[in-house]
Amino acid sequence: MVEAKNVCMKYDKGGQYALENLSFYIDRGEFVFFVGSSGAGKSTLLKLIIREIKPSDGVLKVFGRDVGRLPRHRLPYLRRNIGMVFQDFRLMEERTAFDNVAFAMMVTGASRREISKRVPHVLGLVGLQGKADAKVRDLSGGELQRVGLARAIANRPAMIVADEPTGNLDPGTSLDIMNLLRSINLRGTTVLVATHNREIVDRFKKRVLYLENGKLVGDEQKGIYAHVH
Amino acid sequence: MPMFINGFLYIIGETVKGLYRNRWMCLTSTGVVVVTLLMLGVFMLVNLNISHVTETVKQQVEIVVYIDEQADQASLDELGRKLSAHGDIDEVRYVSSQEHMDRLHRQLGGMLEGYDTGLENPLLASYEIRTVVPELVVPLANELETYPGVSTVFYGQGYVENLFAVSGVLQMVGLALMAGLSVTAVFLISHTIKLTVMMRQREISIMKYVGATNWFIRWPFVLEGLFMGFAGAVVPLFGLYYLYQFSIDWVVDNNLVFLTLLPVQVVLIELAKYLVPLGTGLGILGSTFSMGRFLKV
Repeated sequence: MVEAKNVCMKYDKGGQYALENLSFYIDRGEFVFFVGSSGAGKSTLLKLIIREIKPSDGVLKVFGRDVGRLPRHRLPYLRRNIGMVFQDFRLMEERTAFDNVAFAMMVTGASRREISKRVPHVLGLVGLQGKADAKVRDLSGGELQRVGLARAIANRPAMIVADEPTGNLDPGTSLDIMNLLRSINLRGTTVLVATHNREIVDRFKKRVLYLENGKLVGDEQKGIYAHVH
Repeated sequence: MPMFINGFLYIIGETVKGLYRNRWMCLTSTGVVVVTLLMLGVFMLVNLNISHVTETVKQQVEIVVYIDEQADQASLDELGRKLSAHGDIDEVRYVSSQEHMDRLHRQLGGMLEGYDTGLENPLLASYEIRTVVPELVVPLANELETYPGVSTVFYGQGYVENLFAVSGVLQMVGLALMAGLSVTAVFLISHTIKLTVMMRQREISIMKYVGATNWFIRWPFVLEGLFMGFAGAVVPLFGLYYLYQFSIDWVVDNNLVFLTLLPVQVVLIELAKYLVPLGTGLGILGSTFSMGRFLKV
């Protein structure tokens, strides 16, 4: 599903590597944590996967396609297969929870009927029954991330990419969000999570890719955070 | 429902919602367009009327060719033929010496009564000529002086040259100022629209992340820009209509008959032809181009 071969990333020519010679393979249906301290390259890697940026060198394949060579006009179609969850939620604040989720479906050309059926369903899945008409700016942090999750799964993507999804949440809410991600994964969706939340990583015992100074220094099935060093 | 109808309805819906959600920003942008185009419109009104007045005066300029009374009939016939066939002449009219005398009587209103009886008419017959364009008056007058059978040529020497020079300068200055104001309008309007889009860059980046195509994101913004530009052009047109109507009334009330202002309908059409495409075009282009870099997410 995601295959990296000697992937390098430099933001400036002549500058330091943000990522250096990364090689790994992530299979369909896996749940993977990318861990490492701040600046290790976790977010850069996720940005490469969603093709927000292109690798400076090497080949990164997502769904079998080299994202470095993906033409710009094909980008929306790649992203419709990836549900994204962000630390800062990135929701449209002036709109309702329903509208935020519906928008993700609208861009794929889903009909109004489909949307009016699917959106309440996914809001229910993330525990936001009855919050469909609430303005996003009136929701709590945990609820915001649930809307983000609902939006991410609305189009039944093959993969969820979450960048520090619990970064702005208290421990209890973080656990709820991670449990939701796990249940999404159990339905067959690949889940990639960049985090430095030690408790979460240790508790879930999923595959862990350790990044340090832009290099992949470890890859463990059922890994724990302590192995970063 | 077919996908394109869905998409179309979405775009219209998003445009309306976008205008409502960002109503203060949109109102501010539209306000800037209104003020800028109002300024440009006032200047255009002045410019159009200055051109109109000078053109009206220029159109009244004509050449009078006085016929040499010593000339033989053959020369006179040839002169008549040459004038009728000349390409630069739009209208030529023969005025006999008797007609001149009659005009003089009319102008002086009976003051000549009793003086002209028994005297030979001293006035020369003439041709009164209008050129195809007023600017041909001077060269044509110089040419006509060389024709056989011509005594003198009169066209308001000195006065006409000054009139043309002044109107030429006025036109150049008017065009330069209008170009300057138009460029200012382009900058002001496109930057204001750009600001409106910049305020919503977060929204645009979110749309990109969920897989919206650039045009799917762009269309509502383009339509919002179109609406702001169009409204920003139509509102000053109403203002200019009332301002101009007031000016016409003022000119009439003050008996300024020498100021022949253009009719309000003509002026309004001229303004609309310029301001509406300018406002609308800038609204569309402003939003289209300012989105460019936000779409590169």
